[in-house]
Amino acid sequence: MLLRASSEAVGARVDLSAAVEDAADGGVEHGAILTAFAEAVVRATDELDDARARALETLGPAKFVEAAATVGIFNGLVRVADSTGIPSDPTTLERTADVRSDLGFNAWSGARASGVAEAPA
Amino acid sequence: MSFEDNRFPVPVREELAAALRRSWADIGRPGTWWTGPERVAIAALARADRVQRNDPPWRRDRSQPPLAPLPAQAVEAARKIGADPTHLDRDWAEATIAELGNAHYVELASVVVTTVAADAFCEAMGIGYEPLPEPLPGEPTRERPKGLGDIGAWVPVQVVDWNRANVARALSLAPEGVRTFFRMVVAMYSGTATDFEKMVWDHRPLSRPQVELLAARVSALNQCFY
Repeated sequence: MLLRASSEAVGARVDLSAAVEDAADGGVEHGAILTAFAEAVVRATDELDDARARALETLGPAKFVEAAATVGIFNGLVRVADSTGIPSDPTTLERTADVRSDLGFNAWSGARASGVAEAPA
Repeated sequence: MSFEDNRFPVPVREELAAALRRSWADIGRPGTWWTGPERVAIAALARADRVQRNDPPWRRDRSQPPLAPLPAQAVEAARKIGADPTHLDRDWAEATIAELGNAHYVELASVVVTTVAADAFCEAMGIGYEPLPEPLPGEPTRERPKGLGDIGAWVPVQVVDWNRANVARALSLAPEGVRTFFRMVVAMYSGTATDFEKMVWDHRPLSRPQVELLAARVSALNQCFY
């Protein structure tokens, strides 16, 4: 998982549960602002205006645009993977073996394409 | 021209705006298997259902007919990939591909993912959706790429001389779809291949852990295993 690798590269320890918990910061600078922003966009909630305003105020315009771009493109990338059933890369499977089950990833339907599916909890 | 500077509430770097403009215009061009009007119709269907994504499919307003005639399976696929990515599975994909053909299916997916990425960016920025591009006349090229094979995906992908991430070859059956969508990926996420290999980024204002946290959260919200 690139979140862990990129955090370790700067000597930081990331809490990967931030990927699956609401408004968690994961030990990343302004993490809770970022995840709340992503959640509001994906879920199209009433909190979107507030989450966007907090992101813009906290991050400043340039970083806010990058956050918006990341949220935008990953909404496309997940659909590339899940509409084609593309299997995960072997190195990714290897690097995430210790956390996938705990975080619930192996119960998602896309896990079958990579041969690691578990029954949903 | 689409995605003009004055559309944005804050400055957007030109590389990003240019990628959005070019890829958005590409939706209206004839593709490999679908015409320009058909591609714009696919984009419209994906957008219309995704806007209603918090409602179950049976409660969504689908009264607007497609902007161009499309097979029923294409209509359903555009809506489902656009609005319900957590409900995609091999059985459904195989049944859809059996009706449409795998190349038509992959190109349709490429149009949908381009539309969704641009629309989600607009939502995040707090601006209205870009008007759909004007469909251009012309015939699809109908050229099936060579060098494809089975790596366990639902569709054939490039297998010759491949050393990059699998997701980057998922749309191999639609080369113009790869160019259109991954132009946006480079501008909105990865940067160049050299940039992407680095774990410490200096080509983006956000740190790489910040970008990857956003990526991980969006992926998890969509229950994307990849």
